[in-house]
Amino acid sequence: MIVTVTFLAAASLYALAGALYLVFAARGVETISTWATRLLGTAVVAHLAFLGADYAVAGNLPTADIRQMLAVTSLLIAIGYLGALRRYRLAVLGAFITPVTLLLFLGAGFQRNVAAVPDHVRSMLLPIHVGVNILGVVAFALAFAVALAYVIQERLLRKKQLGGLFQRLPPLDVLDSLAFRLVTIGFPLLTVGIVTGAIVAARIGGEEAALNPSRLTAMLAWLFFAGVLFLRVLAGFRGRRAAIGTMLGFLCAVFVLVGYVIRAEAM
Amino acid sequence: MSARDIFVVGLSHRTAPLELRERLAVPAEQLIEDLRALVATGAVDETVVISTCNRVEVYAATSDVTVGARAARHWLASRAKPDVLDAHLYERAGGDAVHHAFRVAASLDSMVLGEPQILGQVKEAFVAAEGAGTTGAMLTRCFQKAFAVAKRVRTETGIAAGSVSVSSIACELAAKVFGKLEGRRVLLVGAGEMAEAAAKHLRAEGARLVVLNRSLERAHALAKTYEGEARGFDDLAAELALADVVISSTASPTFVITREMMLSVIKARRHRLMLLVDIAVPRDIDPRVGDLENLFLYDVDQLESVSRGAVDARRKEADAAERIVHGEVAEFETWRKSLELTPTIIALRTRFREVVMAELSRTAPRLRSLSDEDRKSLERMGDAMVNKLLHQPLTELKKGVEADSGPQLLDAVRRLFDLDSSEPTAPPSASVKAVNVQSLSVPADAARVVAKRDT
Repeated sequence: MIVTVTFLAAASLYALAGALYLVFAARGVETISTWATRLLGTAVVAHLAFLGADYAVAGNLPTADIRQMLAVTSLLIAIGYLGALRRYRLAVLGAFITPVTLLLFLGAGFQRNVAAVPDHVRSMLLPIHVGVNILGVVAFALAFAVALAYVIQERLLRKKQLGGLFQRLPPLDVLDSLAFRLVTIGFPLLTVGIVTGAIVAARIGGEEAALNPSRLTAMLAWLFFAGVLFLRVLAGFRGRRAAIGTMLGFLCAVFVLVGYVIRAEAM
Repeated sequence: MSARDIFVVGLSHRTAPLELRERLAVPAEQLIEDLRALVATGAVDETVVISTCNRVEVYAATSDVTVGARAARHWLASRAKPDVLDAHLYERAGGDAVHHAFRVAASLDSMVLGEPQILGQVKEAFVAAEGAGTTGAMLTRCFQKAFAVAKRVRTETGIAAGSVSVSSIACELAAKVFGKLEGRRVLLVGAGEMAEAAAKHLRAEGARLVVLNRSLERAHALAKTYEGEARGFDDLAAELALADVVISSTASPTFVITREMMLSVIKARRHRLMLLVDIAVPRDIDPRVGDLENLFLYDVDQLESVSRGAVDARRKEADAAERIVHGEVAEFETWRKSLELTPTIIALRTRFREVVMAELSRTAPRLRSLSDEDRKSLERMGDAMVNKLLHQPLTELKKGVEADSGPQLLDAVRRLFDLDSSEPTAPPSASVKAVNVQSLSVPADAARVVAKRDT
């Protein structure tokens, strides 16, 4: 009961905060962004309450299944963004980040379905695998929002539409290097995540699982991020195309998560 | 003969696209020749041509506006296809032309309302015309008044507050691309007035400047003032590869920065973001450069769209400025109308008679033996003296007005005898001051107080 209440509260608070951020991006009234941030903070509190209630009911660490993993990931994205807000003037980015947070959080609302982890899979590797993947997705989600802001800002600048939204978005170069930094953080995490995932899968012994769609999409995401990183270092690849590469990489990562959710449902 | 009238024919950013403006722009070295040719047609007596990136305008004084305007249009049409041109030209005569000149100088007609460069450009245009010998009393007075009006507008209204000029907008744009400009490398291609204004802004933001100019001397001068480096044109490609922001403002008739050049530059600079601002007319940078990845190109017209937002706040100030211009135009028109013969003759006679009568009424009380009859004959004698004294000057004046030098002569007479002053008995030095003060439209009473205190 309390699990449902806290979940609905957090979800609606995220939705409200996201809507207010969108209004702020369009209109630019400072008080609206202040209220949006307050709502987002409240959503995070409700989110924490939800995780606490969930832990009380389930009695396991909140990383046991994909649903909980999404709940933790979306919480960290929201907290990461609130932390970034204290340092940078990035209030407009809330319009991009909050919807991403909300979507991942809604994924956590699917029917609870903890497949008891078989004993032979229980190793030190599993929490590492889940942990790095959560942190990687958080970094990529933030990078996605920043890259999306870059693509929009670049388009406005190119079309010479320098109205309110353009004025409120951060400078292009700042967005470009911020997205790049987030990808450099996320990339090693993703790499470790894929490697540990492969090892865990091998331990389970599912040879057939080695080439499942999830793994392939994860590899695709890895390729996108690798491209963004190495082409930048080698050929100075940056700007709009790098931003699009970053966004595609994150979308692939989301597909991986969606795949897990679907399989969890199917079980 | 009718009084000499002023008219203006031209086009500006309000009526014509950049492509047309750059075709009409007159190169500085050709301007003097063209000014003289225009006067040589006989259709106009005086002319000043303003040619900036945002406007090409012919101001002229003539006794026949219809003929004069036709000649001006003909001259403009020699630089572009007439059928295209006509739709973009505007024409104003008399008080409307003066009004237009004042508004232009006061930056009320500028693309960026209140920007400071236009006054300098109008001054340059006037000095060029003076050098060519195509200015006379009418345009001289008109433009000098325009400069005074511009100064008044600048000091008495907030129109220049924050000084939104093309260069400061370029600066803002750079900040939206790069964030802090501190340590960013800015390349100025061309070291003209616009480049200098941009240099000032960018330097204040902490940018490092590189000035590139055909004349190295000028580049060095500008670079020295703003702690930058100077380069010759041979270094263009190498500097483009290093720069974050490029502001181009050369007088080159062809593209200085081509697409082919930029394609190799982009590789050399490893696709780093770059902002190019082309404030030259004709343009310096091939517009196709703007299609390249990670590179943003703005020309003068596109900067306007940026400035619109910033300018909204100045609209209110513009109303106050328009009122100043309006008052000054009315005053100028009064002066211009006074340059007709009859009012001047009447004013001259009146001024002389006033002096005679004033002296007479001062002396008469002391001559006790003077009868009323004697007094009357003395007055008659005074009148006769005035007429005799004025006979020759008035004959010459009439002759002069028939000839071409009319306005100058009338203006000279009015000034020599202080005919425009409302205070006939004040000592000469004081009344000159009074005129000056009044021309700034301080209420007449206040002007007199100032004048008296000075004597």
